[in-house]
Amino acid sequence: MDKSEIPFLSASALSGLIASREVSPVEATEAYLDRIDSLDFKFNAYLTVTRDMALAAAQEAEREIAAGNHRGPMHGVPVAVKDQFLSAGVRSTGGSRILGDYVPDEDATVIANLKQAGAVLLGKTNLTEFAITGFSHRYSTPRNPWDLNTYAGGSSSGSGAATGASLCATSLGEDTGGSIRFPATWCGLVGLRPTWGLVSRYGVMRGVWSMDTVGPISRTVEDAAITLGAIAGYDPKDPHTSASPVPDYRAALGQGIEGLRIGVVTEQMESDLVDADVRTVVERAITVLGELGASVDEISLPLSTVAGPVTGALLAVEPAGNHSNWVHERIDDYGHDDRILLLTGSVIPANYYHKAQKIRELIRRQVLDALSGYDALVFPTAGRGAQPVEDDPPVTSKETTSRLPFLFTRLFNLASCPAMSVPCGFDDRGMPVGLQIGGKPFSEETLFRIGNAYERATDWHTRRPAAVA
Amino acid sequence: MADLSKEDIQALGRAVGLDIQEPELTEVMYSLNALLESLDAINPPGLDEVEPLPIILPPA
Repeated sequence: MDKSEIPFLSASALSGLIASREVSPVEATEAYLDRIDSLDFKFNAYLTVTRDMALAAAQEAEREIAAGNHRGPMHGVPVAVKDQFLSAGVRSTGGSRILGDYVPDEDATVIANLKQAGAVLLGKTNLTEFAITGFSHRYSTPRNPWDLNTYAGGSSSGSGAATGASLCATSLGEDTGGSIRFPATWCGLVGLRPTWGLVSRYGVMRGVWSMDTVGPISRTVEDAAITLGAIAGYDPKDPHTSASPVPDYRAALGQGIEGLRIGVVTEQMESDLVDADVRTVVERAITVLGELGASVDEISLPLSTVAGPVTGALLAVEPAGNHSNWVHERIDDYGHDDRILLLTGSVIPANYYHKAQKIRELIRRQVLDALSGYDALVFPTAGRGAQPVEDDPPVTSKETTSRLPFLFTRLFNLASCPAMSVPCGFDDRGMPVGLQIGGKPFSEETLFRIGNAYERATDWHTRRPAAVA
Repeated sequence: MADLSKEDIQALGRAVGLDIQEPELTEVMYSLNALLESLDAINPPGLDEVEPLPIILPPA
């Protein structure tokens, strides 16, 4: 195979070629590093490229595989990870200037797990500052591979741009209010927010402790399945991780969805915040699910409409607490959006935070009650395709405080449920649209099953942006 | 609840050891008032009885 074609393979296809020794991990790693060197100036996906470490890991993988010691589907596969995760001996900025020179001496568990699975770490990807806002970057803003004038979506913006631009085989993001599914939908990728407690948060810079999750941003559902399989599982360093065995998520693929029950949440589908062209695309995708044999019903989740402000309160108060020392001593070292968010979160009256947590519990009950009758809930990941890159606008009224009113991801964060965005078409501007599929806690296999069945019936996941060729 | 003024915001800031000045003061005022107004408007049935449990504990 021509080396320059390797980066366009799915991670799963590359994994198979590495296992059969038709492609070497060194060859694959060099191919990705070459692309990063020549193209990332357009995408701003990486903050740090770990070239020497990557090549050393690839050589080690090559030796092991040649000796008959193949560790599994991620062995020798080049990956990128969000710079929100601590990495031993590698700068870990959190997208901030405050930690611009911070080099930890220990890996986050998700990075340690990737290394244990034999994956090759290409580098650390760009993100919004400390991953607590949706748009604001302290380094350059990651560009959307489908239109370089538009934003990749955040906070895992660099992981979205890198994966969409084929600057890695698969990647990790972190999702507190939608930060995996947001770049996934805008970049035409698969993004999975796992169940809270499935993946360790040890060594992950915090947002909201009870909502932070680490998961894959990938080009196919199978790629997301093998990436999640490598990072999931109990971690004694994170006492909130589940001790249940991690299943082989690929076993769920190819089963079809005959007989599965899917609920379409009408409040999200019919929201004024969904553009008409996006709604049409998502409706077509849901029709495909019905044609594949799923039972599809419209259902009502009235509290889904208040997920935004409830999340907004939690996403202001908890980061303000986490950053309290720096807020007091170094507030000018933050960018605009973080500065306003952290100051606002510092002065929210406690009774409002308490109320938000109580509303959250009612939302969760409503979601779980709906899921007692359905295998999955579906609606658009976002009501709008990728928007132009812009400077952080000042807040000039109460009406201009939210930059993400059209993002519909937060419902599942509040409910501690898994949710996945899969590409399902393009809006009238030719920008990707994502179908969001949410399920019961620890039902990732069902989500992969549905997403994979949809991929087998469509070709959206095979489309490649022109800027990537 | 009526919107908080800039003086209110500064008083809240002083209570937690923060001296909030312009240009952030106006933006924080709008942000906080928008958030409080949104939460004031959400009063679903059962709110008084429910506990503020933040998570689902994973199975042991």
